[in-house]
Amino acid sequence: MSNQSAATQSSPPPAEAPAPMVRVQNLVKHFPKRGGILNQVIAKVHAVNDVSFQIRKGQTMGVVGESGCGKSTLGKCVIRLHEPTSGKVFIEGTDIGSISSHALRKIRSRMQMIFQDPNSSLNPRMTVEATLREVIKLHQVVPAGEVDAKINTLMTKVGLRLDDRKKYPHEFSGGQKQRVGIARALAVNPEFIIADEPVSALDVSIQAQVLNLLMDLKEELGLTILFVSHDLKVIDHFCDSMLVMYLGNIMEEMPCEDIHAHAKHPYTRALLASNPVMDPDHRAELTVLEGEVPSPYDPPAGCPFVTRCPIKTARCEQENPPLLDHGNGHRVACWEVKLQ
Amino acid sequence: MSMTDRFFKTREFRKLFRNKSAVIAMLVIAAYLFTALFVMCGGITRETCDTVVGQNKMPGFFIQQTPEQRYENATSKFLPMVQRALSRADQTAALADVRLGQERVVNKSAAQLQAIIDRAIELKNELNQSEDLDADSARLPQLKALEDQVAMLKAPLTGWSRLMQNASLVLGTDAQGRSIFLRGLYSIKIAIQIGLVTAAFCVLLGALLGAAAGYFGGWVDHGIVWVYTTFSSIPNLVLLVVLSYAFTDSEVKDTLLPVYIAFGATFWIGTCRVIRGETLKLKRMEYIQAAQTAGFSPFYILVRHVIPNTAHLMLINFSLLLIGAIKSEVILSFLGFGVKGQPSWGIMIRDAGNNGDVVSGFFWEIGTATALMFALVLAFNILSDALQDAFDPKHV
Ligand SMILES: Nc1ncnc2c1ncn2[C@@H]1O[C@H](COP(=O)(O)OP(=O)(O)OP(=O)(O)O)[C@@H](O)[C@H]1O
Ligand code: SF4
Ligand SMILES: [Mg+2]
Repeated sequence: MSNQSAATQSSPPPAEAPAPMVRVQNLVKHFPKRGGILNQVIAKVHAVNDVSFQIRKGQTMGVVGESGCGKSTLGKCVIRLHEPTSGKVFIEGTDIGSISSHALRKIRSRMQMIFQDPNSSLNPRMTVEATLREVIKLHQVVPAGEVDAKINTLMTKVGLRLDDRKKYPHEFSGGQKQRVGIARALAVNPEFIIADEPVSALDVSIQAQVLNLLMDLKEELGLTILFVSHDLKVIDHFCDSMLVMYLGNIMEEMPCEDIHAHAKHPYTRALLASNPVMDPDHRAELTVLEGEVPSPYDPPAGCPFVTRCPIKTARCEQENPPLLDHGNGHRVACWEVKLQ
Repeated sequence: MSMTDRFFKTREFRKLFRNKSAVIAMLVIAAYLFTALFVMCGGITRETCDTVVGQNKMPGFFIQQTPEQRYENATSKFLPMVQRALSRADQTAALADVRLGQERVVNKSAAQLQAIIDRAIELKNELNQSEDLDADSARLPQLKALEDQVAMLKAPLTGWSRLMQNASLVLGTDAQGRSIFLRGLYSIKIAIQIGLVTAAFCVLLGALLGAAAGYFGGWVDHGIVWVYTTFSSIPNLVLLVVLSYAFTDSEVKDTLLPVYIAFGATFWIGTCRVIRGETLKLKRMEYIQAAQTAGFSPFYILVRHVIPNTAHLMLINFSLLLIGAIKSEVILSFLGFGVKGQPSWGIMIRDAGNNGDVVSGFFWEIGTATALMFALVLAFNILSDALQDAFDPKHV
């Protein structure tokens, strides 16, 4: 195990390779919890804990994990909806934390977000047309005379009928609303999109339609995507590689090829096992997770997963395992997974 | 289709219009607004309200005047005025000046008028022989004849003035002989005017400050909360007393300005609180975050995405503030600090009390003022409740 300390946590990109579309470096986000008579900070939620990864241009990175593990917070820190507590986010080499708010507003047209809840992601008092027009005009995506044509193109692209231009959000179904949200994100011709559980609020039958739409758009427009989901099946289907998060920490990063054969971290394996449709062969291998999810206010000192891990050792209680590079873009944070 | 058009066709508005009592309330309010507009366009002027139309008179339609009052009415006002005019050198000019309210002298020659007056005085003297008109009911026909003589001096009113004359008497007169009906109607304009100006100003100010506080947070929030906590600790009654002393010698002392300042300074606070709370909620909505990721400026997001989504609360608050302002105006005018120099329900109620009318059973002045105010406030209360049910079932 002597080589473990030599292995770096986040491997910097090789000098000759072009800068990755997105590079996240040691990102930390704590939410203070206030209380008491003086409204002082009484605790901190460790929503994202020292997270590093990168996404190459045109790639789709999945983020998977249980509810509350910090997936949305990670996405919102990357797009600067939250100010990170520490750490850096580079978009094609630009550190978006160090630029002026004016420059940030400019750079925002290159990254957009698709939100989780179609019922709250559209302004109830604005028509589809108004929603799209507003964004197109702000970034002057097309000359003033061509705005209408651009709106039509966008609506066709996401599969909305042109008659729906003047409709308000409450006149649409959930799937249609999500299409409007996608159209809004695409309106500024972004290169990088964060999709925060874009289908989890939709009916299963509609989920597939919206996912297929996203797949087509990704191919057509060459988008780089950070795709957040709690559903491994969706991630496997949609992404090039994935991050498995638990209590704000990355447990494992791996390419989405033959996940069952390659997944090494006990938490990833547990997630796979709890998804019987996906994993008919390995069903009996791991039992359902037992034990409590620790409070995010008071994470365990050692490995975050220690309270529920079936193969934990004494060491796991004391020391947090580093995220070690296993080659081929595979990184694992577990004392019990040995380097080959 | 325009934005407002859509706004009024929403589910909420359909729900509002299905509510029968709300629709009735809206009709009542519409009638009040129409009256206020009528007064504002000069239908009833301040002068009309101050004109003496007769002796202290009860509402004409169900309370009879005593013979003494009828005698007094016939002899004391119009008769002596015409008589005096005839005794002048320039009779015609003097006669043209004889006016009692809407009434004028009939277009007759001086000799004819003199004949009528002589006959009237004759009747008057006959009646004077007895102190007690009632005791001898045979004298009542004579009283009637006297009244007829006086009526012959008057040109019959026609058209609009006749209508106004009849209307002005319908609810009787106050202690000074001014029409209670007209004063009551004029007060509608005062109430609506104060209500609308106060509510519009306070809702706009409260919404803007509340939304800014909620949306920007930090020191903006602290500052605005501090200001409204401070202002809410000033009772607006005290503020108005101070203002009315401060303006004593200025030219605005008879205008509504002190009232507006006092109400404007304190009434926005409730709205500000509510809108601030709503904004804190809206701020977490994903469409606000979407606007942020799109790169819109905070001010744009506030004006375009936050404030329009508090419109329903602004509407409800407008209705509530209107009631509040109208009620406060009445109370302040009653105490003598509100409206000055023109009629107001508060002043009518005070006058009624001051003259001891109420105690002796002359209820129509206080009754008119109270009934008009009651109907308006009740209608607005019903409307506010209906608005709240339709737009804000949770009663934030
Ligand atoms: N604005 C905030 N203030 C305080 N705590 C927050 C805030 N946003 C998130 N948190 C906390 O941070 C943790 C991570 O939340 P996050 O929304 O990122 O989870 P998630 O993985 O997206 O969950 P889900 O799958 O339910 O969307 C949670 O414990 C949550 O309570
Ligand atoms: S480090 Fe220990 S507790 Fe954590 S996952 Fe590995 S074995 Fe389990
Ligand atoms: Mg989330």
